[in-house]
Amino acid sequence: MNDPYQVLGISENATDEEVKRAYRELARKYHPDNYHDNPLADLAQEKMKEINAAYEEINKRRSGGGRTTGSSASYGGGGWQQQYTGSSPVLQQVRAAIQMGDLARAEALLNNTGDHDAEWNFLKGAVCYRRGWMDEALRYYQTACQMEPNNPEYRRALNLMQNGSPYRPGGESFGTLCAGNPCLTLCCAYTLCNGGYCCFI
Amino acid sequence: MFGYVRPPQDMPEEELRRFGRVYCGLCHTLGRRYGPVARFILNYDFTFLAILLSEPEEGARCHCRCAAHPVHGRDYVEASSALDLAADESVILAYWQARDGVSDHDWLHGLKYRGVSALLEPAYRKAAEARPDFSDGTRRQLERLTELERERCPSMDLAADTFATLLQGAAQAVYEPVRRRVLEQMLYHLGRWVYLVDAADDLQKDAACGCYNPVALRYGLADGLWTEESRRSFAATLDHSVHMMATAFELWDFGVWTPVLEKTLYASLFRVGKAVLDGTFHHRGNQRETQERNT
Repeated sequence: MNDPYQVLGISENATDEEVKRAYRELARKYHPDNYHDNPLADLAQEKMKEINAAYEEINKRRSGGGRTTGSSASYGGGGWQQQYTGSSPVLQQVRAAIQMGDLARAEALLNNTGDHDAEWNFLKGAVCYRRGWMDEALRYYQTACQMEPNNPEYRRALNLMQNGSPYRPGGESFGTLCAGNPCLTLCCAYTLCNGGYCCFI
Repeated sequence: MFGYVRPPQDMPEEELRRFGRVYCGLCHTLGRRYGPVARFILNYDFTFLAILLSEPEEGARCHCRCAAHPVHGRDYVEASSALDLAADESVILAYWQARDGVSDHDWLHGLKYRGVSALLEPAYRKAAEARPDFSDGTRRQLERLTELERERCPSMDLAADTFATLLQGAAQAVYEPVRRRVLEQMLYHLGRWVYLVDAADDLQKDAACGCYNPVALRYGLADGLWTEESRRSFAATLDHSVHMMATAFELWDFGVWTPVLEKTLYASLFRVGKAVLDGTFHHRGNQRETQERNT
């Protein structure tokens, strides 16, 4: 295991409060909700495990190698919540294909399915999301929720997309419409070389 | 379509200088590999690409005078495989952008694009030979885009997917698998964001000429003016792409480049997006203004 202090980005002299703060910041960054349906969720899960292990190790060392004080507070790995007992065999295959990262197969199976029920729309949304087609993903999730408003799986996917609280360093607001000074002095006021040569494109 | 990725101004001096050294390093690499003409394609977008492709440590610094800074000269990072890759891909992108300009305009208005593509032709041939996969991928995606434009495709995701996939291809030469996955994700969403912001920036121009605009079709903005709801929805879809870029960025150690990338992703893209939505970006005007100030 890597040096747990290095994993949390703190020195060995950090106070317990600083350890906790560093852990919370990283846990917020790599939280499963932040990577829901994300094609890189597996990498985030690995990071989360590493951070949890480092936090537990530090707590263990500081409590004299005995009781692990931090484990109960650590965040779980999480991932895609699968509650699809009622799925048709084809839609179960679609879910398996999505899990395997085989989006082409998932899409082909969906396109060959005539019944566009709530689950079909949800899965279509999941495929779009993983492809990066965010506008269409949102619209399919919305349709799934309209067709089955009480389904927690569809509702969660839609909520995370609409109201998720994406990580931003320092806890500042995240979003185009919240952007600070919109006046684009940006780089124009500052000179590197002959910035913006490429005026013909 | 380039010109929307900009280095944030509110960075420590040291970070701005570091960015400047890559900018000048890329300029030198373009000149060394492709001759002085290729140096004119240099822009911040290509510098951002070079930073993404760079190793976590900054290479050795060099100093020399150049045509733009004949008296005091400038510091720049020495040649590296990342700068070579970024230079090759920049030439390919700039060439195909110019070709795209030729096909998008009538004979008279296409003249400048024709001139640029003719000037870049020798450099492009050499770059395409060095990076055949990226060159083929770029051509294929732009052909796909032309086809979608002809069909007046109403899906902005599908139209944006062409430029996103094209830019994603810039990471295919990266060997390390996790780093490649991270970069592919970042570049895909950067491409999607750039395409959509560019389309939003062109809304009124396209409405006036009746040209294809996927954002106008998606939201039914025949006059090129936003409604409050469409503006909010479009901002949300831009934010989803920034979110995907940021979540990918957090999964790899970009070393000394972390501050500039962090500022660009978490601040600069939002500012540009907001300025475009507010109609205060004036992309081309700003570029001319920048050139005037710097020369």
